[in-house]
Amino acid sequence: MAEGTMAEKKKTKIVSFLCNWCSYGAADLAGVSRMQYPENIRVIRIPCTGRVTPKFILSAFREGADGVWVSG
Amino acid sequence: MANLFEHMGMEKERLQFSWISSAEAGKFVNVATEVANSVEALGPIDKFVKKID
Amino acid sequence: MDSLTQKIRELASSILKEGTVDMVMGFAEGTLPMTSKPYMARTPEQADKFIWDSSCTMNLANYITGRKEKIGVIAKGCDSRNIVNHIVENKISRDQLYIIGVPCSGMTDKNRPDHLRDNCLTCTHKNPVIYDVLAAELIEEQKIEAPFADVKAIEAMEPNAKWSYFQDLLKNCIRCYACRNACPLCYCPKCFVDESGPQWVGKGQNETDIQTFHFLRAFHCAGRCTDCGACESACPMDIHVRAFTRKLNKDALDLFGWEAGLDMTKRPPLDTFNPDDPDDFIK
Repeated sequence: MAEGTMAEKKKTKIVSFLCNWCSYGAADLAGVSRMQYPENIRVIRIPCTGRVTPKFILSAFREGADGVWVSG
Repeated sequence: MANLFEHMGMEKERLQFSWISSAEAGKFVNVATEVANSVEALGPIDKFVKKID
Repeated sequence: MDSLTQKIRELASSILKEGTVDMVMGFAEGTLPMTSKPYMARTPEQADKFIWDSSCTMNLANYITGRKEKIGVIAKGCDSRNIVNHIVENKISRDQLYIIGVPCSGMTDKNRPDHLRDNCLTCTHKNPVIYDVLAAELIEEQKIEAPFADVKAIEAMEPNAKWSYFQDLLKNCIRCYACRNACPLCYCPKCFVDESGPQWVGKGQNETDIQTFHFLRAFHCAGRCTDCGACESACPMDIHVRAFTRKLNKDALDLFGWEAGLDMTKRPPLDTFNPDDPDDFIK
């Protein structure tokens, strides 16, 4: 991968709300399996995706997140 | 939620939802890459960020 | 005095006399000409203060939330839909209410007294949905060809154009929360704007805070809003706050075939899970 694109990547931040039992497990497994995923994903572990409210998503954007990803 | 967001003029790629089982590490990596790429394509955000003056 | 006002006064004083209810909620003349204020009559004599004209823009369902006594309430189409909402959301029980239904031919815009309000122009539920007694004959409902033309116009815009449209829309907002207080749906004991730990939204005139407030306020009304227009009539800065809720109403209709406050036996769509719910947005 060219260096230019790597520098581009660092500019964006994505807040990801991951369910403890589903996607967080998948992220964990991906890590254990040494799979590579984009480093601008910032993980927030939540007990259940049902806990996510619009407030959370708006808060993330207000604090300057470039993207929000909710995954159950 | 996503619909009203888009209605207000946020790009819809900025807010994404997915469903991944804890066994699907491959899918996680794929979706994560996809999400990251689509947000990168839009570039940094300038809407809805609280600016402190 | 017109016959409708006369009839409302008669009905109200008779149920107060019989003791069917402890009080009757209706409208009385406001402090300025062409305005009205909500009024609660507890004696048959007080019922003579009731009026009914085209300035009764407020939604009386707002005042019945969580009440314990037996209440008579004067309800136009949208008020009755909000009363249904309250019953569905267990904010009041049907037995507590004696509903005087008033078929409504629309309320006037406070700035243009010879025009109907925008939401009344597109209203398709002029007759009360539930009532115990009617103050007048039911009227014919209008058929609207394109009920959401205004929403579609915004939908057709580019993201940046939409963004500047909403920035422009909210630039006059003074955060008085009149829209929230006038809304019968906003009955949370503590509103998210008043929460301090965590503080979701700042208190000042910051642009993002204003946008956050309007966005979340509208979203809390998703699938519940009856487009009664109380928010817009209450706004001292004449902001078109319904621009947000209209979009949600359109989505509720398109995605769930839902119009709020028509059926006492159904829960609102965002309140229930159904395997057929649209899930295209999930990867």
